[in-house]
Amino acid sequence: MSGGTLNWRIDEREGARIAAPAGRVDESTATAFTERLIGEAGAARTMLVLDLSGIAYMSSRGLRALTLAQREATRSGSTIVLARPNETMREILAISRYDMIFKVADTIEDALAG
Amino acid sequence: MQVRFWGTRGSLPVAAKAATVRDKVATALVAADGRRFADEAEARVYLETELDFAAAHTYGGATSCVEIDVGEGAFIVCDMGSGLREFGLDSLGRCAGGHTREWHFFLSHLHWDHIMGFPFFVPAFVPGSKIVIHAGHADAETALRRQQEEISFPVPFDWLKADIEFRTLVPGQDYAIGAVTVSLIEQHHSHLSYGYRFRDAAAKVAVYSTDSEHKIDRMEGEADVVAFFGGADLVVCDTMYSLADSVSMKEDWGHSSNIVAVDLCHEAAAKRLALFHHEPTYSDADIERMHRESIRYEELTRGAAPLEVLCAYDGLVVEI
Repeated sequence: MSGGTLNWRIDEREGARIAAPAGRVDESTATAFTERLIGEAGAARTMLVLDLSGIAYMSSRGLRALTLAQREATRSGSTIVLARPNETMREILAISRYDMIFKVADTIEDALAG
Repeated sequence: MQVRFWGTRGSLPVAAKAATVRDKVATALVAADGRRFADEAEARVYLETELDFAAAHTYGGATSCVEIDVGEGAFIVCDMGSGLREFGLDSLGRCAGGHTREWHFFLSHLHWDHIMGFPFFVPAFVPGSKIVIHAGHADAETALRRQQEEISFPVPFDWLKADIEFRTLVPGQDYAIGAVTVSLIEQHHSHLSYGYRFRDAAAKVAVYSTDSEHKIDRMEGEADVVAFFGGADLVVCDTMYSLADSVSMKEDWGHSSNIVAVDLCHEAAAKRLALFHHEPTYSDADIERMHRESIRYEELTRGAAPLEVLCAYDGLVVEI
C-alpha cells in the first residue's frame, strides 16, 4: 500500500501554486501521493491547481487524498482546483461524483481564472 | 455454496408504487414495437433478454437479509432485515421437505433495518424450532427483546415458542458452526458493525460486509479489510453512497461507496463483488446506473485478474 512515489513538478503562477504529479495513483503510490498533496495544499497561499495531465488513473485512495488535501487547504485559507484530467480521470471523477465536489478545469488558465 | 438475497435495500424498506409498475409496462410495450408473443413464457424471454434489468424488473425494497446455503446442516442467515419474513416462510417450506429445523443467524449490527424482520419470522413462533443468534455485539439479546416490548410490538419476545440462544463471537477467531467455518471483523459504524467470512467444506468463501464505513483518515487500516476479503469467491459489500457523498455530506453515516468496494476487492483478489445495501431513495434506474458505473470503474482500474461486479437484488441467487 505504500512505498511507490510519483514525480512532481511544482510551479507558481499568478499567486497560485501549480502541482503536476505524474504516474498512477494506486495502492502502491497512494500514501506518498497523499502526504505530498497535503503538503502542497498547506503551502498554497490562495489556490492549489492540481494538474492531472500526467496522472494515468487514480483509485479511490487518491480521490480520498484529494478530500484530505482540500481540508488542509481550507484550514490554510486556500482552495484546490483540478485541471487537465485525461479521459480516464474524467470518467473516474464522474463515477465517484468528485466532479460535483471539486471544480474541474480544462486548462491551467481556466483553473487560474477561478 | 449458494448465496440468496432476501433483502438488499439499506436503512428503510421501500416498495414500488403503482406508477412505477405502470411505467415499466409502458416501456416494455413501446420497446416491443407491436411484436406478438405466443404466450407469457415467450414474453418473459423477451423481457429477460431484450430489456434492461431496471426496465423489466425491480431491485426490490426489503432490508438486509442474505442466506448462505452450503447444501447441508442448519440454515445460515446474515441479518434480520425485512427480507427475513419471506425467507422464514420459504425455509419452513423446505423444513416440510425434510430440512433440519435449525437456523443460525449472524448479525452485522443491531440497527432497526437489520433486525426488524425478526418479529415476523414465523419459525420463531413454531415449537421445535432451534434458533441460534450469533453477533459480535454482547447486547444483541437486549436489542431483539426491546423491539418486541409492548410500546413497539404486540407479541413479547418471551411468547416465542422456538428454542432461542444468543452467542457472542469475537473477531480474529475461527468458529466451526454447522457446515461452515466463520470468522468476523470489526467495522466502523455507529455502535460498531461486524463483517463475516464463511468458508464451506469445499473451501468456497463468501464475505458479508455491510454497514461499514472506510474512513478517509484511516486508509492505512484498510489492510485488515483487504486481508479479510482475501481471495473470496464473493464479497457482499455496502455500496450505499457515491464516494463524494461518503466523504462530504454523509461522512460518519457509517456507509461506503461502490468504488471503494471495487478497490478493496481488487486488492484482495476477490473474484466477485455484489453491490448491496442500496440507498432507499434510489429508483431501479438509479441502481442500474450505479451498477454500470461500478463495472466501468472496475475496467478502468483493473490490475490483474478481472473482478465480476454483480448488483444484488431481492431474489438474486449466486452460485459459488
